Amino acid sequence: MTRPVKLSALAVGVVFGFFLTASGLGDYRTIHDGLLLRDPYIYLMMAATVGTAALGLLVLRRVGRTAFGGPLQVPRHPVRRQAVLGGAVFGVGFGVGAVCPGITVAAAATGNWYGVVVLAGILGGLWLRGYVEERDLRLRPAPPEPVAPPPAPAGGR
Amino acid sequence: MPHVLPTQLPWWVAGPGIGLCVVALYALTNRKLGVSGGWLQLVLTAQRRPVTEPWRLWFTGGLVAGAGLAGVLGTARVSGYGALSEVLSPLPLVVLLVVVGVAIGYGARWAGGCTSGHGISGCSAGSPESFAATATFFCVAIVVTFVVHLLTGGAV
Repeated sequence: MTRPVKLSALAVGVVFGFFLTASGLGDYRTIHDGLLLRDPYIYLMMAATVGTAALGLLVLRRVGRTAFGGPLQVPRHPVRRQAVLGGAVFGVGFGVGAVCPGITVAAAATGNWYGVVVLAGILGGLWLRGYVEERDLRLRPAPPEPVAPPPAPAGGR
Repeated sequence: MPHVLPTQLPWWVAGPGIGLCVVALYALTNRKLGVSGGWLQLVLTAQRRPVTEPWRLWFTGGLVAGAGLAGVLGTARVSGYGALSEVLSPLPLVVLLVVVGVAIGYGARWAGGCTSGHGISGCSAGSPESFAATATFFCVAIVVTFVVHLLTGGAV
């Protein structure tokens, strides 16, 4: 990883953290009232965020290059099962706590130190999922050896 | 330090500001913005495993610094955890919030992203998987919130 990449990630992180906190999402009520469909703020903000980023990426795709990371690659994936299953588990925590991984920091920065408690849980949850995946990998029978392709018929057309 | 920020930036300032962060990170480094991946690098570090994406630690460090800056410049002061603080005393609240965090971390690693990686970066890139993950966690969160609201007689 080159120095410009590190510094870029740091700088973008500062701006991101600033807006995330200044949006007031660190206050439980902002997201909770959104999920109770009483306050449209989180949906309007999300739409403005995705809309701006989508437009920007459209322009960036035309350019096709990045400053320090070579040719632009924006990943897209077809829907895999784990995205929906994991999303559902994530949604339970998101609903009960009205909080997400970045918001824990915004909460702590505006005086709600319970954000640090949620973050500790998040680190534990990330570890736990890794543990479960590795255990499943060990318990699963080894995949069969790949079958060698049949030799090409000699002298065929 | 002067409190120069309003309690809450309008959505049409905060939203585009964060959207431009996604674009800037791609334009500069060719990386997809996401928060839970940064915390995952921290977990890998604690496990003394190789850090797979070291740039994320820099991004997350910046996130903490930027949040701190907004906290210092802002007028918003939150004490306690909203309605949850009113119905739960501190110890049960801490237990509940740890469980909430575990669900969020577990789900984010399973899904391969959270509100930022899927919800913002993936959706703005037009990734079908991110649309599915985002729709799932928002719908589940809304249903869960209404269920808790009804079960607590409107207290939460």
